[in-house]
Amino acid sequence: MNKKSSVLAAPFALWILIFTVVPLALVVYFAFWGDNGFTLDFIKSIGEGEYAKSLGTSIWLGAIATVICLLLGYPVAYIISRAKGISQRTMVMLIMLPQWMNFLLRTYALMSLLENNGLINTWLRDIGLDPINIINTRAAVVLGMVYDFLPFMVLPIYSVMTKIDHRVTEAAQDLGANGFVVFRRVILPLSVPGIISGITMVFVPAVSSFIISRLLGGGKEMLIGDVIEMLFIQVEGGRNVGAALSLVLMVLMLICMTLMNHFDDSEDSGGMIA
Amino acid sequence: MSDTIISLRGVSVSFDGETVLDNLNLDIEDGTFVTLLGPSGCGKTTTLRIIGGFVRQDEGDVFFAGENINNVPPHKRKLNTVFQRYALFPHLNVYENIAFGMRIQKKPESEIKAKVTELLGLVSLEGFEKRSVNTLSGGQQQRVAIARALANDPKVLLLDEPLGALDLKLRKEMQVELKRIQHSLGITFLYVTHDQEEALSMSDVIVVMNHGIVQQIGSPLDIYNEPVNGFVADFIGESNIVDGIMYADCDVEFCGARMVCVDTGFAPMEEVDVVVRPEDVIVVPAEEGFFTGTVLSSTFKGVHYEMIVDVPGQDEDWMIQSTVTQEVGATIGMKVDPENIHIMKKYTGDYASDIDYTENVVE
Repeated sequence: MNKKSSVLAAPFALWILIFTVVPLALVVYFAFWGDNGFTLDFIKSIGEGEYAKSLGTSIWLGAIATVICLLLGYPVAYIISRAKGISQRTMVMLIMLPQWMNFLLRTYALMSLLENNGLINTWLRDIGLDPINIINTRAAVVLGMVYDFLPFMVLPIYSVMTKIDHRVTEAAQDLGANGFVVFRRVILPLSVPGIISGITMVFVPAVSSFIISRLLGGGKEMLIGDVIEMLFIQVEGGRNVGAALSLVLMVLMLICMTLMNHFDDSEDSGGMIA
Repeated sequence: MSDTIISLRGVSVSFDGETVLDNLNLDIEDGTFVTLLGPSGCGKTTTLRIIGGFVRQDEGDVFFAGENINNVPPHKRKLNTVFQRYALFPHLNVYENIAFGMRIQKKPESEIKAKVTELLGLVSLEGFEKRSVNTLSGGQQQRVAIARALANDPKVLLLDEPLGALDLKLRKEMQVELKRIQHSLGITFLYVTHDQEEALSMSDVIVVMNHGIVQQIGSPLDIYNEPVNGFVADFIGESNIVDGIMYADCDVEFCGARMVCVDTGFAPMEEVDVVVRPEDVIVVPAEEGFFTGTVLSSTFKGVHYEMIVDVPGQDEDWMIQSTVTQEVGATIGMKVDPENIHIMKKYTGDYASDIDYTENVVE
């Protein structure tokens, strides 16, 4: 890097230092240093009952939400990538639109829809059907995650799919592949990078989400994000365990992502290594 | 030559109201190397895509070995395509690219292996099986694309400007290579190009197209020596095209001189186009020439000099190719042998605007 570009990069580097590097260092510090110096007790305490359980629940619900996002988002991304001009731009816009509204606002909106006396149940009663009891259940939490994070699945897959050369799909047809085979042998493998980044962008925020479970799950079951928030803000002296939990969560996510990216790499260059 | 393998009857197609092909009729003999030649936008690539099944004609019929294939989708047609810029599968290695078609047909692995090895030998890429196609050079990718298209034993191979992205030397090598492959397999090649030299050196038959209409079909020699109109003459190599008047059979006037020619069958006093190849102009002392001109420039081209000559009373300058140069500014006499004077019906189009070599990459 030459001198000029390092000057230009300085404000951002400073920003990163203050708001990312220092907090990260603090998290590591609090996770290992208590009042009596270095200790592994905070890390060990995570293995105990409640914490491990809510970590497990978070990963489980996050995974379900990710799978649902993939199943819903992939066909949408495919359809948008095949559309032309104005209709393509309109569809991308419609996917983006909810993102312009605050995340909290959206979650509250969903809450008022799902409530026992909310819009959906009112309508159901009006047309003579039994109301559904979904608010304050795991299903509502997963629904909230899917609702909030779906665009992060659609957009990366869509952007990878638009880059697939249409001549390549024509070449597959030319060699005898019908629509299904073209999809399975060409489009699907070529869209793997988009799937990987979609999964990353949904799974990580879904696992660490903390407001959704409180608003839609009724706070009955705490997800890991809620636990960390509670430890830092509400529990006296809870920040050491909170920091330890954050660290463990971060490491787990990093391991997940590394595995995913490794999978992506080996797909990409399959021919070169073997 | 045996049977007709592909036949187009009255094929017309237009995109957004613009006619691309206009009532096209074409028969392709089995086992020949046929080239569709023409400038950008002449409809040659569209013709190929109609035969491949990727474009549906508005009117007319396509026959393959006597059978109407209008409604047969691309994946069921017994022909394969070498695409512009290769269109290899980026996620598969060389072996799997070539094996793609055979895998769909669920051929046994041993047969696939034998075929891939054979094809890699044919295109001189032995030992490249495990290479990623993304690490290959343009020429190597082209060879893989050819091998891949040949793996299903097609009766016809469609080639869409396959050498367009290669540099000149590689292009020349691949021309020889393609001709060799076509010879050794004995199948039909239908080749699309805008490069007249490529067409002349490889084809058994050339189909010259312009504005969606076939201008002339013939052997390279026929097309070069006996172009049917000014467009063909101008597109196939350099030509001097001037206005002339046919007084009677074998009696033509152009550039202010009456000359003997060998063409017949025109109406008396009919206005015609006269085509003379630059290499057919004989330079003589001014007083011996049929007509005279002033040399504007002379450029050494390796084998010959190319001279631009201003002929009084003519809108366009003449181009002359000769192994002997003339002094710039000198007045020279010019003669043409009767058999080198080509008389054609007036062509109404504008030659210059029809030919655009620069925008031929994407059609």
